[in-house]
Amino acid sequence: MPDRLPGELRDLLERKRRWHREQAKAPLQEKVRILLELQRQDLPLIARRRPLRPWERPWDVTP
Amino acid sequence: MSSLGDVFRILNRMQDEGLVTQYAVGGATAVLFYAEPTRTYDLDVFVTLEAVGNDLLAPLSRVYEWAREQGFGLQAEHLLIEGVPVQLLPAYNALVEAALSTARMHDYGGVPVRVVDPEHLVALALQAGGARRRERAWQLLETGAVDRERLRRILTTHAIAAEIPGDA
Repeated sequence: MPDRLPGELRDLLERKRRWHREQAKAPLQEKVRILLELQRQDLPLIARRRPLRPWERPWDVTP
Repeated sequence: MSSLGDVFRILNRMQDEGLVTQYAVGGATAVLFYAEPTRTYDLDVFVTLEAVGNDLLAPLSRVYEWAREQGFGLQAEHLLIEGVPVQLLPAYNALVEAALSTARMHDYGGVPVRVVDPEHLVALALQAGGARRRERAWQLLETGAVDRERLRRILTTHAIAAEIPGDA
């Protein structure tokens, strides 16, 4: 692996890092809304890989 | 439908009614307070309980009994509070005790909630190990919310031999 990243890749990684930081600054309730969405989206993918644990299901709450 | 704030209200009630001496939200739900969301299906809550003899878990059965009286279900080791599986974890080592005592109060839509601070969250993740927890530590460090000097002190105090991701 080269010691130096090509400029474009470095910029891409920097943009990605900035995007993660912005996500971190989102209002708490917005982050919970995203979490609830992630729970719904990921469940069928997890279920395809292994049996679900009894408590693994989307939370039945609003943010 | 209940809100996550209602779940936090119940945690506060548990503390107010003396069922737990102190609580602090940990795990991925705590990370949410400082970093971007990460998927989880349960809510980890560290608690200190009044000891009953030498049995660490005896006071926990009092909490479960209270929860049953309130109409909350039980699912495996989780309490189902307003539809959210909550795992109560009695403080099992000195690091968790420290995390509980230094937890921060946050405001969640007008509901106060105690949450483990970011430095202890990273230390707990590094102590427990595993890929997902290391990723959680990295996420927190990336946000800039972690005081790295304080984190180093915590790691030294609790003899956690782990490299801090991103340190040169």
